[in-house]
Amino acid sequence: MEFYSGGSLETQAYLRYTMQKEIKPPRLFLRFFRWFCTKELLDSIEGDLLELYHDRLEKEGRFKADSKFIWDVLLLFRPGIIGIKNSEYKTNHIDMFLNNFKIARRTLWKNKTSTLINMLGLSIGITSCLLIAMFINHEMSYDSFQPNAKRIGRVVMEYSFLGSDESEKGTFTSTKVAQVFSSTFPEVEKGIRMSKSAAILQLQGSPVTEPDFMYADSTFFDAFAFTMLQGNPKTALNGPDKVVLTESMAKKYFGDSNPVGQGLEIGESKTMFEVTGVMEDYPYNSQFRFDFLASFSSLGQNQNNTYWNANYTTYLLLQDQSSFGSLAEKIPPFMEKESADVGANINFTLEPFDRVHLHSPYSDFVPNTSIEYLYMLAGVAFLILVIVCFTYINLSTAKSVERAKEVGIRKVSGAQPSQLFWQFIGESCLLSGLSVLVSIILVYLFLPGFNNLINRQLHLEDLLTPVFIGFALSLVLVISLTAGAYPALILSKFQPMKVLKGVFKNTDSAKWLQQSLTVFQFGISVFLIIATLIVQGQLNFIHSRDLGYDRSHILSLPVGWGTGFQKVNTLKKELKSNSQILEVSRTGSSPVSISSGYSMNLPTRPENEVIAVNGNPVDENFIQVTGLELLAGSNFTEQQVMQTDSEGNDELAFHYIITESAAAKFGWSPEEAVGKEMILNDQGPVVGVIKDFHFQSLRNDIQPLVLFTASWGGRLLVKINGENIPETLDFIEKTWDKVLPEMPYSYKFLDEDYTRMYQSEMQLGKIMNLFSTIAIILACLGLFGLSSYLIQQRLKEVSIRKVLGASTFQILNILSGNFVRLVLLSILIASPIAYWAMGLWLNDFVFHISTPWWAVAVAAVITLAIGLLTSGIHGIKAALSNPVKNLKSE
Amino acid sequence: MKKYQLGEFEEVVMLTVGVLFDEAYGVSIKNEIESRLNRSVSVGALQTALKRLDEKGYLKSREGESTKERAGRPKKYFRITALGKEAMHYTRQTREELWNSIPEVAWKLKLT
Repeated sequence: MEFYSGGSLETQAYLRYTMQKEIKPPRLFLRFFRWFCTKELLDSIEGDLLELYHDRLEKEGRFKADSKFIWDVLLLFRPGIIGIKNSEYKTNHIDMFLNNFKIARRTLWKNKTSTLINMLGLSIGITSCLLIAMFINHEMSYDSFQPNAKRIGRVVMEYSFLGSDESEKGTFTSTKVAQVFSSTFPEVEKGIRMSKSAAILQLQGSPVTEPDFMYADSTFFDAFAFTMLQGNPKTALNGPDKVVLTESMAKKYFGDSNPVGQGLEIGESKTMFEVTGVMEDYPYNSQFRFDFLASFSSLGQNQNNTYWNANYTTYLLLQDQSSFGSLAEKIPPFMEKESADVGANINFTLEPFDRVHLHSPYSDFVPNTSIEYLYMLAGVAFLILVIVCFTYINLSTAKSVERAKEVGIRKVSGAQPSQLFWQFIGESCLLSGLSVLVSIILVYLFLPGFNNLINRQLHLEDLLTPVFIGFALSLVLVISLTAGAYPALILSKFQPMKVLKGVFKNTDSAKWLQQSLTVFQFGISVFLIIATLIVQGQLNFIHSRDLGYDRSHILSLPVGWGTGFQKVNTLKKELKSNSQILEVSRTGSSPVSISSGYSMNLPTRPENEVIAVNGNPVDENFIQVTGLELLAGSNFTEQQVMQTDSEGNDELAFHYIITESAAAKFGWSPEEAVGKEMILNDQGPVVGVIKDFHFQSLRNDIQPLVLFTASWGGRLLVKINGENIPETLDFIEKTWDKVLPEMPYSYKFLDEDYTRMYQSEMQLGKIMNLFSTIAIILACLGLFGLSSYLIQQRLKEVSIRKVLGASTFQILNILSGNFVRLVLLSILIASPIAYWAMGLWLNDFVFHISTPWWAVAVAAVITLAIGLLTSGIHGIKAALSNPVKNLKSE
Repeated sequence: MKKYQLGEFEEVVMLTVGVLFDEAYGVSIKNEIESRLNRSVSVGALQTALKRLDEKGYLKSREGESTKERAGRPKKYFRITALGKEAMHYTRQTREELWNSIPEVAWKLKLT
């Protein structure tokens, strides 16, 4: 960039003169001429050009004069006339650069307070940005190592029963989909079915639960890239009872011996699987997390002729990316035909695999991150940067009074505005460059803690990629240009005469800028405080909301679906013998999350009609354990549960307890419902009605639920009284090992399970807390520095007022009153914006807090207090200082 | 060996500066050449020539008055220096020598 002052006073007078007559030569070309023409010829040639222009204007008219002027200018663009700017002095650029550097170093060193504040602010700001950028980069990189990511689609099933307008949607599909789709649609190259669950393995004779056990078709390795260390990926999963291990699992189970060809006992039934391969451990940015990959055929499924039994995930490898479009058109008509005789509307859509992690509502094996959270974080990072830059601008404009003399002298000695400009930019470059170095050290120090907070494994090496080096460099560039440009422009434009005469004061526009930047900074802080309070409020609400059931001191233990009724009953009885254990219940799902859909019907309705409900198989203790409230009827009896035990009974008989909203759905009041017959699995009577409770995330509405008697639930809920917990846990484990030695023992508290549902919100809450605190600190830092400078400048005024008898309070009021007004203004501006933005976030939850008015009050009090405190410190110092001292100087 | 370098256009400019004597500045030189020689001269060409002649020391310039018409821009007047005069004489002399050296026969054969 070249800053050329553009013509002397005379030219300006001329331009005014011609403007009055409304005739001027084409300005663009005049400027162009001034730009290229060498200095010593400029004036006289320009005079010639203007004289000619006027002659021609009179003789030949405007158009000819203009065009001849342009022609002349263009012909003047020749070597003898084009001059190099600043050619009067042949400056030594390297020396100049080094000199600038030296001056910058000296200035920074001289103004220790402002340098420290700026460095501190910039380093914290850049560190935050780098951490956030690393996090975002990590989230964006999910599955990017998959070469086929662009042409893999995940199948989403949507169905609604005939006559019902409610549809269910999710990534559950039956095993039929992959087969039918790959044979029907030429766009589909391969279909891959998957199913992930925990599995029990035998490690040196004792059972171990492996959480990451996955079944997949042999086509898995055609679509997804995972490096095989041993074994052939093409054939490894051909045929039943084959399994591929990760490297670390191979170590765990086989030590140093070669696992390929050896056997592993898997499942409750201890089926022998043959190890056919070893693959590298999955990368940490993979959606798929599995330590074991077993052949899908091991599941022994033969249900290819139904779209129901939708318990599997299906991926399709497509011919190319464009197949998504043509399949989206082809599938609905095809499925309309297919589902005609199923009694339901079934449709499938495809989700691009590479959009799953950030855009899909359905997670894979890793909880998804919503792209909105990433936007929110990027926004926070940006706001932090803005605050930091504003602090820098504010401090430099405040300091400009001090530096005015330096600028004046430099100008008088012949410094060009552009040289001064670059000097100041150089200063901010040096400062932000140093800050980046400090930041990298800070990132290194804080990364483990940050990883802990966000539950990820980010590595410092990520910072060494070209992308990040570029990012850091552009941060330096952006910061030094945005933060340095304004002061540089202001300072380099100072009129040396005024400055050196000593009447220089900050201009009104500089004051206006300082004030608006301060308002902006505090506005951002207010916004972040309100946002944080609302996120925290919602999280507290989630934690403390009465869900309609009790979840404290309840353990949830996987007991195995296949474990017999008698055995579990024995376990229950043994456990209950301990006085610390209040109640034990066997159930399908814990009340935290019940998502199994069942179709049911009433005997009074047409036979082919079905109603979709959520269902949960439970025993007679479920209601006591969970503290659910019976509105009408009674609880199940042990007798009724025993009737569903297939070992002892040929005739299965079911009994039902429904929630009030389920009763309402069938058109009954709670009292009416008791005794009514309904059909789910089989026909049976409703024995009780319970109050509605939240058995799903608060993001969802409360849905109808049916509890039915069953002796086969895969989970044991144990309610303990909360005293001597370690002892009780010890007792439970001992009893377990005695009664159920073939099942691995593991437990979780329901509270933890519940919290896990809101993991991403919790994370957001923590991150928001952290970064809004940082933003507030940075804004305060800025105000601290600014007020210190502004008050310094008014020290004489303060002293005179004091001598004349002003009280400390009055002086404080004069000094800090303005800041208070600015902070108030920022509260006024930021609160509605924060309210609006956070309202959008809250609407994501069906059950949420109403946006609290007190958040604004709290934010206002906090910012005001901080504002008062930071500016007040200097105010008090000034007000209490000895006026004689201040007035004596100079 | 060339003693003085003077191009054709440069020579015309020098001569015009001489003709105009005390009134030789950009526009007047341009107008004079255009009216006398009936050839159009661009400001660019003229200024480059003037600059070159100035650098060679054949012309010297002085800042003149500024007029309203020129938006207060000064005129740059040119005068021929002693060196310039020598150069012009030299050029003229060489030309004349050449002229004089053309044998009469050459003129007579001009029809062929």
